[in-house]
Amino acid sequence: MNVVSRGIKNALRSPLRSGAIVLMLAVSIGLILSMLVARSGIDAQIKKDQAGTGITIRPAGIMDFSGGGTPLTSTQLATITKTDHIASTSATLSDQLGTTDTNLTSAIDFGSFGLRQQRFDSSSSTATSTSMTTPNTSPADSSTTRSARTPHITVSGTTDPNSISTDGSKLNITKGATIDGNSSDLIALVGSDLATKNSLSVGSTFTAYGSTITVKGIYNTGNKAQDSGIIMPLTTVQSLTSQTGSITSVNATVDSSSNVNSVVSALKTSLGSTADITSQAEQAATSVASLKSIASLALAGVIGATIAGAVIVLLAMIMVVRERRREIGVIKAIGGSSRKVIGQFVAEALTLTVIGSIIGLALGVAISGPMTTSLVSSSTSSSVTSTNGRPFGGPGGMFQGGFNQVNKNLTAVQSTLTPTIFVSAVGITLLIAIVGAAVPAWFISKIRPAEVLRTE
Amino acid sequence: MLVVKDLTKSFSSASGNVTALDKVNLTVQTGEFASIIGKSGSGKSTLLSMLGALDIPTSGSIEVDGVDIAKLSAAKQTAYRAKKIGFVFQHYNLIPNLTALENVMLALEFGGMPSKKRKARATQLLTDVGLEADEQLRKPPRLSGGQQQRVSIARALANHPAIILADEPTGNLDSETGKKIFDLLHRLSRSEKTTILAVTHDMDIAGKTDRTFKLKDGKITV
Ligand SMILES: Nc1ncnc2c1ncn2[C@@H]1O[C@H](COP(=O)(O)OP(=O)(O)OP(=O)(O)O)[C@@H](O)[C@H]1O
Ligand SMILES: [Mg+2]
Repeated sequence: MNVVSRGIKNALRSPLRSGAIVLMLAVSIGLILSMLVARSGIDAQIKKDQAGTGITIRPAGIMDFSGGGTPLTSTQLATITKTDHIASTSATLSDQLGTTDTNLTSAIDFGSFGLRQQRFDSSSSTATSTSMTTPNTSPADSSTTRSARTPHITVSGTTDPNSISTDGSKLNITKGATIDGNSSDLIALVGSDLATKNSLSVGSTFTAYGSTITVKGIYNTGNKAQDSGIIMPLTTVQSLTSQTGSITSVNATVDSSSNVNSVVSALKTSLGSTADITSQAEQAATSVASLKSIASLALAGVIGATIAGAVIVLLAMIMVVRERRREIGVIKAIGGSSRKVIGQFVAEALTLTVIGSIIGLALGVAISGPMTTSLVSSSTSSSVTSTNGRPFGGPGGMFQGGFNQVNKNLTAVQSTLTPTIFVSAVGITLLIAIVGAAVPAWFISKIRPAEVLRTE
Repeated sequence: MLVVKDLTKSFSSASGNVTALDKVNLTVQTGEFASIIGKSGSGKSTLLSMLGALDIPTSGSIEVDGVDIAKLSAAKQTAYRAKKIGFVFQHYNLIPNLTALENVMLALEFGGMPSKKRKARATQLLTDVGLEADEQLRKPPRLSGGQQQRVSIARALANHPAIILADEPTGNLDSETGKKIFDLLHRLSRSEKTTILAVTHDMDIAGKTDRTFKLKDGKITV
């Protein structure tokens, strides 16, 4: 028997109370650990987001198929490509196929949102569908066909099919093979939803702009609007729509993330007011901002749980010391020093904390993953769904990608338990035990041994 | 030898100052068995707590074998309590979650005995006070009052103290058991040459001791 073993023995003296204390401690330590994990995961993601090197250049005033303006020209594309620090570029011309342009049926229903947007269609869709079709412009026609109209099918002519994918990674081809964006053949990649709706497979043909086009592959992005579209080589779309040289968006990659700002300002000077320029880092700012607020929420969680844990141990030990006043007096009366009594109570507090932290750390390891996910999704779902809530719209390259980027960035937060996090969690736990035992220790030193002679 | 000179202790409470001990003078020879009697509130417990260095006197001196314990440092007082004094209380005051054996070993630990020797010594002490082997391994709540008081006497004797201070050691026991406990204390003081100061209300018991001090309102009257 020594101070430590007496302390451990005392910790188990009233199993019910000790159990309750251990449980409360375990919960707060579990919270501390999972919050630390969430925080470091989020911090890592913020760093990654801020390191984006993509830039999107689109004609001033055009946003997918709304707004108006003049497409970019091949001269402007050349200017962009020649700008310092730009590593690569891909150009896209987006267009929409109306019911009279193709034998395909759209895979998307209007829904109430789509129908509402249609009320502008008779006057505005022609502005974006440039050279296209006349029937829609006739007032008589529009009034009779309005309710029967189906959504347009989005066509993206691009030099790089991969640029259509939502997050800048390679386009996911599920069947067949990708196409060469620099070709001028009548070939296409078809989104999986559109393919299903029209029973298209690799080698099938369909009609668009009066030409017969061969399906080379089927792609799937998981995004319904994208998967209801068609991707063709840029030159093919430009000639089919009689828009030679026209481009509705350019995706450029900067050689390093530190040059993004200087490239953006260089492009703003060279392209002037004819183009709108957005960088990936800028777009990531939305997600970075919300990630940052989640990170500070997690930090507040760590601090709160630490305080809660310390208060639990503190109150428990104060309670125990008050209860054992007389016993402490006895120990002092028979020659035990204050130091020994304090040592014994510290050992008791440590025992409770150690048991609590073993359970708590195990709990933390188990819940840190789901905790990170739910922290991230619950505090961002409102903003993400509102931006993502457009039922259809062209895969306008980076811009559409931008919204998905926000979504992706948030869900990409990785929760990994590193040794550093584990050590800091253990450190915090020790801090809890020390704070929780320090105040009772002071009480103990104040108990007079003469207390023992008082009859209760 | 224990020499107490002009020992005064006053407490300040809400209703003003209480003088629990008022210029007490007494001398007890080594090996003597002395009893202290007096009405409730006369200052008996206060006197014992001064002698046992559980509290600090307001004025006066307590000399044990020529050393004034009131002037010792806190650490020295702790050592004095551990090695020179043995306490026996009316309410036994054993540590409830330690066995009888562990309670005695605790005192041996504070007395500085190496851990390996403690168990044998504690077992010997408990056997001397008449505790059976299985009783020695029980925790206090599972022992009778008389048995608990035997354990506390064993604990008090553990470090060969110079003085045993007993505050109504038989106060919670029936008169027969009380006599046995008293006889035990008496016998031990003879064999170990331990000075004993015992507070009692039992005039029978007081009559058998070597000397009796009577306290009244904090003053020695006999
Ligand atoms: N800590 C204290 N604070 C204030 N007054 C105290 C304190 N301890 C003792 N007293 C007072 O000192 C006086 C003597 O008390 P003490 O406990 O020594 O009496 P006692 O002779 O042991 O009585 P009893 O036979 O009832 O045990 C009493 O008036 C008591 O109220
Ligand atoms: Mg008393």
